[in-house]
Amino acid sequence: MIKTFTQNELVQYVYNELNGKAKTQLETALLQDQHLAEQCAELLIAKANLEQLEKGPREKTISAILSYSKNLSLQH
Amino acid sequence: MNIVQLSDSALVSLYISGNENAFELLVNRHKNKVYTTILLIVKDTETAEDLLQDTFIKAIHTMKSGRYNEEGKFSSWICRIAHNLAIDYFRKEKRNPMINIEDNGNIFNTLSFSEESIEALQIKEETHDRLRELIQQLPEAQKEVLIMRHYADMSFQEIAETTGVSINTALGRMRYALINLRKKMTNPQIYDKNLYSE
Repeated sequence: MIKTFTQNELVQYVYNELNGKAKTQLETALLQDQHLAEQCAELLIAKANLEQLEKGPREKTISAILSYSKNLSLQH
Repeated sequence: MNIVQLSDSALVSLYISGNENAFELLVNRHKNKVYTTILLIVKDTETAEDLLQDTFIKAIHTMKSGRYNEEGKFSSWICRIAHNLAIDYFRKEKRNPMINIEDNGNIFNTLSFSEESIEALQIKEETHDRLRELIQQLPEAQKEVLIMRHYADMSFQEIAETTGVSINTALGRMRYALINLRKKMTNPQIYDKNLYSE
């Protein structure tokens, strides 16, 4: 019998926080339950979009941080 | 073993024992996540750069003084410092708002070099701008969980503990945030804020 999954477990799966047996059971359920698979796909797409948003600081800022650390080390 | 392949925990140990290269690697590994976490809260690039420096300076002092706690992930720890500093700044700013005339308009206005065509880049930037706007429109509780999980790299259990809610509430908020964003991205007309307000 296929285990029924909550929406929250689906979120845990999408963020790789569902472990061991529960993860395997969910993956089995995804193969057999089209509605669940569609819901999972929607969450995965939204997550993937968010991952592309990451931005980086200027090189100047990073240099300042590294210099600060080096100067602090020299003082001790 | 090559230093580049070392875990964060090993790099922290090396840094504490005086290896500055280890610190440089740690900074380069985590700078984007930390910066994005801050930027999503303060919405100003200059302020985000300043707070990024403050975050790492705080981390430097904690590690150098032997107060760094080995428990937990370095990435979660550094992002939590960033998140707290950004929230403190945001609260102060709410009390004493300042207008930055040099940074009005798009908060993510710096384009990085890419081999993609200008048109493809423009479309990508517009999509990202829109997504960032939508994040800002999310109910505060959802936005908080989204930033903590996505950019501060905290687990749902850690988020639940930090925000004082159950893990199911944190998961539910994340789910509503993702559904809201997805619905708004695919069909702006059918978005119902009340329907997904938790």
